[in-house]
Amino acid sequence: MPVAISVDPPEVSENLRRKRGYTFPFLSDSKAEVIRRYELLHPRGGPDGTDISRPAEFLIDRSGTVRWENFTEDIRVRPRANELLAGARAIR
Amino acid sequence: MADTTARRLTLAPWMGLLLTVLGVLSNGLPFMGFPAGPVPWISLLLSLLGFVVVLLGLWRAFGQSAVYKGKLSGSIAAAFSLLFLAGAVVFFWSARHIPAESAAAPQVGQRVPDFALPDSTGHSVSLTQLFSGSVGKEPPKALLLVFYRGYW
Repeated sequence: MPVAISVDPPEVSENLRRKRGYTFPFLSDSKAEVIRRYELLHPRGGPDGTDISRPAEFLIDRSGTVRWENFTEDIRVRPRANELLAGARAIR
Repeated sequence: MADTTARRLTLAPWMGLLLTVLGVLSNGLPFMGFPAGPVPWISLLLSLLGFVVVLLGLWRAFGQSAVYKGKLSGSIAAAFSLLFLAGAVVFFWSARHIPAESAAAPQVGQRVPDFALPDSTGHSVSLTQLFSGSVGKEPPKALLLVFYRGYW
């Protein structure tokens, strides 16, 4: 199950979720606390010079162990679905 | 008289401008399902190529003014394409520049720290709760934590 996390407030995420028809949860880390703890902070990366998260994906199993992850160097370059699925298939 | 009618208008500056604009627009290719990997380079290359074509046009209009006309229109096209090229270069660097090192980020094989955050309805949800699943649904075998930039 995907879980989306950003600094967007819940209302904004709810709006996005409804508009796109997503059914998975969107979590709001408005103070970037979890983003900081995962060391994903992109300082002043937001449009108003606010601190945001860099794009990153973690596939974690039930024990909370990371099985696959992806960081991008370029905000336009994102992982392909088949890379992720290869990681997911390894989890039983 | 024969001189002015024989002079051709060089379209190169406008073709070049079109290429620089296409270069900037090509940044949107990943949204259309195009593999994202080479896109930043394609965009930059298109814009650069466009500007080279513009320079060729200017050289024609100014250097070979006996054959070609279009000094004014060529200059206008050149000014715009320079603007788009500058924008493309700035965007290329800013989009690639993610300052976070993430050296201490959770690595494959490590456990991620648990946390609780409000969901889009404002209710606090923890990682453990997400794994236990909602009522009437099978608990998920895995979670894909997608950190994204926000401001959508």
